[in-house]
Amino acid sequence: MDLLWLIPSFPLAGFMILLLTQGRLPNSVVAIVGAGSIGAAAVVAFIVGSAFIDAGSMPYSQLLWAWMDVGGFTPEFTLYLDGLSLVMVGVITGVGFLIHLYASGYMAHEEGYSRFFAYMNLFVFAMLMLVLGDNLLVLFLGWEGVGLCSYLLIGFFHDDAENGLAARKAFVVTRVGDTAMALGLFLLFRELGSLQIQTILHSAQTTWPDGSVLCTSIALLLLGGAVGKSAQLPLQTWLPDAMAGPTPVSALIHAATMVTAGVYLIARMHDLYLLAPVAQFAVAIVGLATLFISAFAALTQNDLKRILAYSTMSQIGYMFFALGVGAWSAAIFHLMTHAFFKALLFLAAGSVILAMHHEQDVRQMGNLWKRLPIPFACMLIGSAALAALPLTSGFYSKDIILLTSWDYGTNGPWFWGLAVLAAFVTSLYSARLIFVVFFGKANSDAASSAKDGSGWNMSLPLIVLAILAVGGGWFGLDPVGDVLPDGGLEGAAHDPMLVWGTALVPIIGVLTGYLVFGGGQLNVDKLLETSLLRTLRRFWFSGWGFDALYDRVLVRPFIFLAALNKNDFVDLLYKGTAALARGASQLVVRTQTGQLRWYATSMAIGLAIVMLFVVGLL
Amino acid sequence: MMQTAISVPVEHVLVLAVALFLIGLTGVLVRRNILFLLMSLEIMMNACGLAFVVAGARWVQADGQIMYMFVLALAAAEVAVGLGLVLQLERRFRHLDIDAASELKG
Repeated sequence: MDLLWLIPSFPLAGFMILLLTQGRLPNSVVAIVGAGSIGAAAVVAFIVGSAFIDAGSMPYSQLLWAWMDVGGFTPEFTLYLDGLSLVMVGVITGVGFLIHLYASGYMAHEEGYSRFFAYMNLFVFAMLMLVLGDNLLVLFLGWEGVGLCSYLLIGFFHDDAENGLAARKAFVVTRVGDTAMALGLFLLFRELGSLQIQTILHSAQTTWPDGSVLCTSIALLLLGGAVGKSAQLPLQTWLPDAMAGPTPVSALIHAATMVTAGVYLIARMHDLYLLAPVAQFAVAIVGLATLFISAFAALTQNDLKRILAYSTMSQIGYMFFALGVGAWSAAIFHLMTHAFFKALLFLAAGSVILAMHHEQDVRQMGNLWKRLPIPFACMLIGSAALAALPLTSGFYSKDIILLTSWDYGTNGPWFWGLAVLAAFVTSLYSARLIFVVFFGKANSDAASSAKDGSGWNMSLPLIVLAILAVGGGWFGLDPVGDVLPDGGLEGAAHDPMLVWGTALVPIIGVLTGYLVFGGGQLNVDKLLETSLLRTLRRFWFSGWGFDALYDRVLVRPFIFLAALNKNDFVDLLYKGTAALARGASQLVVRTQTGQLRWYATSMAIGLAIVMLFVVGLL
Repeated sequence: MMQTAISVPVEHVLVLAVALFLIGLTGVLVRRNILFLLMSLEIMMNACGLAFVVAGARWVQADGQIMYMFVLALAAAEVAVGLGLVLQLERRFRHLDIDAASELKG
């Protein structure tokens, strides 16, 4: 376990190598450095993880060095490994390696191959610091680091101004959450005098009574940070636009790892939320609202990647919902299975997009299943897991969340009802994805001539992820049980009717999807003839109008105020000083005639005045 | 050393020195030819030297005459540098008008 420090070191080394060579390495070397560093980290993570479990899953911390020592404030660079961080490290390095491997093929014909892998390695390093840091300051360092990499990678194709705007939007919106989080950290430090996570969790219970206002506000501020990073209501608007980045980026950062950092943060700080039931209820409400809203938004999107983006928001909503209703382990379990099947979906979508010559509109696709057999099989498996069909990994994790929500006090049944309704919509849009993209008739020339041009380095990750997406949920998730308050995935026993009902919903959803989108009796075009559905569709398509709302309420007033105060009145002071200096200088410049005799005369006159003064005549 | 009475009063010599200095100064201020400028400077320096010498004689000390030695050395150095400048000026501006060399004008 002493090797723990090596895990983040490999991606950092990879980043440094790629940074310092400035893209002068040939692509094959870049791929080896970029993907190899993550692969090495994954191997070390596996060794450390098995040693950790063999040693009885005792938390292990490794002090690297003290960051600084200022007036009693001594944050330390300490890596902390317990069941929760082990799961996160496993997902980040394992899924991260597969995505890097895929990207080495996917990005082969793009400009800036080396830059891409440099950013990706930096991202993995920052994400590992986020989950391994034993100090909230180190966590925050990783937190901002992944935000930076997300910004850099969304705007990776910076020739198109649209992508730059999307990157800026993601950066600014998440910054709102980060500010809340920073305030939460300040409060924590003021009240408890430490930012060591374990110390905080320990002393919070002894310092604050149940439901204390201070603890609630800190928990809510941290939730603000989590909401921004994880694209939950009300800071969710950046994620669909973030799809401007290359597809492997969407898979790694905006589906599998970074956006789940908020879930990790809340799970990590669980004691604070147990002390503040109001904040925990807020987590549940945020999750429920997001999973509901974005499921309907995903149903209406036409861009393949935007469908997946909204579905990511929706699935992370399930994780928040799970945290809120107290299914802590299930949230992390769903985080892991979601990482598998959503990475799979994105990578398969990447293969489809590549075969379609960068066409992302699903209406242009159709009948691709024979032409693209591997992406089709992978997309089918991924969608089945997303829809939570029985026996797939998504089923096991989502089922526990839904069943646990039923037990959540008096709110339980309607929580369960809304979540199940959204699960129904999830299976509906998963079915739509499959039927529209892979069945029916080919809707464009690109679709009828699509050819799978991916090599082994793109197919292999797809196949491995497909296996994980199916089998990743069969064995549960033991390590987190020791860390999280609910002690593992074993929940209370439920009424068999409820269990069967919850399990059947996705199947009904997929069947409905077949009827509506698969050329069955109910045709989607006929349904859309009713004006109510058309209006709803437009509303959902725009993501429930949040972009327009924020544009009216925040962006435009801000731009108006900025335009109003363009000539900042505070600037008058500085401008005045500058003008005074310039005027005085103009005055003195006139004395500099450049004529020697003029200088000599002024010297003589000055001297005469001084002498008269000395003699006393003046 | 034999003491002899000073036949010329100190005041007269000082008036002469002041007169010489003012003549030199006027030359420096009104002349435009750099050669005459240097010559006027020379007159001013010699006026100072005369004042030193007469003051030294008045207080019966050698310092005044030693100062005159320094003034001489200074004058020699000044002429060496000054004539070099004159040559440069001539080469660059093709005449010796000091007003033409006003390129440092602000």
